[in-house]
Amino acid sequence: MTKAEEKPVLFPKLPDVCVRCATCMAACPVSRVTPRFPGPKQAGPGAQRFRSASEASVDDWIELCTSCRLCDTVCPAGVPISELNLMAKSKYLNERGRTFRDWLLVRSDLFGELAARYSKIVNPLMKNGAVRWLLDALLRIDRRRALPAYEYPTFRRWFRTRPAPEGGRRKVAYFYGCFTNTNETDVGKAAVDVLEAHGLAVVVPPQRCCGIPRLGVGDLRGAKEMGRWNVDSLLKTVREGLDIVFSSTSCGLMLRHEYGPLLHLPGAEELARRLFDICEYLLCLHEEGKPAVTFQPIPMKAAYFTPCHLRSLDIGLPALELLRLVPGLDVSLIEAECCGLGGLYGFKKEKFAIAEEIGKDLTEAVARMKPDIILTDCEGCRMQIRHLTGLRVLHPVQLLRDALERRGIG
Amino acid sequence: MKRFDLIVIGTGLAGLTAARTAVEMGAKVLIIGRGMGALTLFGNTIDLLGEIQPETEMAEGIPRWIAAHPEHPYARTGMAGIENALADFRGLFPPPYSFAALGPGNSLLPTGAGTMRPTYLIPATMAAGAAMTPAGTLIVGLRGFKDFQGDTVSLHLKCRGVTLSLPRYGMEGLTALALARLMDEASFRERLGGAIRRQMAAERFIGLPAVLGFRNPAVVLKTLEEITGARVFEIPMLPPSIPGTRVFHRFREELIAKGADFRMGHPVSGANVKYGRCEGITVQNPPLATEYRADRYILATGRFLGGGLWAEMDRIVEPLFHLPVFQPGERGKWFGERFFDPEAHPIHRAGIVTDADLRPVDETGRVVLENVRAAGSILAHHQAIEEKSREGIDIATGFLAAKRALAS
Repeated sequence: MTKAEEKPVLFPKLPDVCVRCATCMAACPVSRVTPRFPGPKQAGPGAQRFRSASEASVDDWIELCTSCRLCDTVCPAGVPISELNLMAKSKYLNERGRTFRDWLLVRSDLFGELAARYSKIVNPLMKNGAVRWLLDALLRIDRRRALPAYEYPTFRRWFRTRPAPEGGRRKVAYFYGCFTNTNETDVGKAAVDVLEAHGLAVVVPPQRCCGIPRLGVGDLRGAKEMGRWNVDSLLKTVREGLDIVFSSTSCGLMLRHEYGPLLHLPGAEELARRLFDICEYLLCLHEEGKPAVTFQPIPMKAAYFTPCHLRSLDIGLPALELLRLVPGLDVSLIEAECCGLGGLYGFKKEKFAIAEEIGKDLTEAVARMKPDIILTDCEGCRMQIRHLTGLRVLHPVQLLRDALERRGIG
Repeated sequence: MKRFDLIVIGTGLAGLTAARTAVEMGAKVLIIGRGMGALTLFGNTIDLLGEIQPETEMAEGIPRWIAAHPEHPYARTGMAGIENALADFRGLFPPPYSFAALGPGNSLLPTGAGTMRPTYLIPATMAAGAAMTPAGTLIVGLRGFKDFQGDTVSLHLKCRGVTLSLPRYGMEGLTALALARLMDEASFRERLGGAIRRQMAAERFIGLPAVLGFRNPAVVLKTLEEITGARVFEIPMLPPSIPGTRVFHRFREELIAKGADFRMGHPVSGANVKYGRCEGITVQNPPLATEYRADRYILATGRFLGGGLWAEMDRIVEPLFHLPVFQPGERGKWFGERFFDPEAHPIHRAGIVTDADLRPVDETGRVVLENVRAAGSILAHHQAIEEKSREGIDIATGFLAAKRALAS
């Protein structure tokens, strides 16, 4: 009676698995703020029963789904709601065609290096009122949303030119992601510092954009191309016996859970088994008690925010657990469901108001907590929370690095 | 690999209660659910046992009822167990948004179907519903909000009813969550209160759908009562349940703050069982399958909707541990003739039979898995829907399962 392995539970990927219980309606951040999006129950399995590959899409609201995937995390029936939405969005945009703006925004990985090289010119331009007015009018990139500044040298260049630590250490590979490379290089530097403080040697394998921005505009083929390139490169690292850590939750979710199950890339499963969120990895090291790393006190009131894609990774809250190890740091969880940015979503003029309205809940939660600093693993969330609260927002590894170095921050 | 003192499988009221009880006892707990659990479906008030009359003390009525139902989950917890567990639950909801009994026994509360329904612990936002009189009550529906038909409610309750246009959107398709969120805004609820006031004759009670705010419902209630001068109450309605979602979030907030590991969104697909003990469970997050280990496990996966029980062609199975399941007879007899039969459909009696410690047992009464306990609606020999005992069973058995698990 109790042989558990005999019969795996089946979760057929069909819209008919949906029992219309409406739990997802309690989780969707978009339908919570606008009646224009009917919500995951209707947009996903509900509409799916009427969709046909041979007929033109009529569900233009499907574009309003932010792909936060919160619906998937609450569904009691295992309906792949966000995947149904993504497929419908992809079909709709394939038929209608994508705008030049969408084409451009998902290719930031291509011009990022160049923009970083000329950041002294590019950054003032991106803050310039006239330029922003033009971007708003011509491309519909909302001028009320600050564009992230570029940094030079890039993380990759910094890493190449720094002295390597002494030999004989166990190696770990790092997937830094585009944003860390060209816009938030300190996250990458902190990741390397913290990993090295744990007795590891960091290597940076060749990598490209993970492809999740392309999924956001339903470009499955483009996402697959990026994925194939990354799997080929990263598998070499894995086959040398290395684990790979990522510091961006969205890149991590894409690499670990979309390359295989969604994009069916060969080798994706082998890669996924060796991929870890950086805080998940560090927490493991602490629990194994291997390197005796101790943190210095940082007397501060901090608030931690859970990115939606971290919920999909379903690894708990390793960053929060690590932060609790820092003496003096009073850290609590922000009780809000989604920051609202949705990656590139919140930059688009027609969606800006939705992103702002979703973010209001977070702003109010933060106002009640009055923290000195906010910590969160996702670059999108960090951008949005800075925009909404004006507070200092860091990746948890940045604070951990500061705690290691006996250095005050702020 | 991280090792836990206790793994709770299921994020419904039973699982949440078990996890919280264990965390309060200082245990290292992992709680894991395939989805959000059934609190968003049913969770409005706390039912204990529907047939207890308003003037009968629960402490008298329930022991009598238990004596007549020796196989019921309440027979495992006893009245003292129920009372301790409920006191613990109430401790999680300090005033102003608290749960309370309004009399010695059940109180009758209006529902979204326009009926009066007996229940026991009532959130502050619904309490006034128990005192309403048909002549003195105005039922307020909101135009474009499909989950609450104010006309139906007022017709059946023989009250006056109005349907108001919303001050801001006035559009079709607003969801319960959207409304609850708007109520959290002072300016919105003040305008709504004003609009209700203009519709009032001499009513002393106002009934609204259960969407009175998500974050701070007691404040929403106070604003509306001050503006209208009447007592205001929420009426439970179709899912998703806002009051249930409030309960879920309160539990999750508390569990994470106290150091529990909270996982949600992926199914537990297998259990590693050796020599009558569970050694670990596997969670599927494709393409990965991760094993988690603990000294003890609590199975609170609910019934058919949550996936705790599974109907095959000829029998009901428990798909995770393949525990023995009390069978409701042959398939042809699973359901009664009429959907709304006052007698429960026989299939509802199916479930896990346990010993006094809530450990699953086989037909001969032998314990199947030494370190696994079952809690909540997955247990056999209750008829939670007809008995109106769902939350009571969840809270009392979730509490007991955790206490007994950690004592072992």
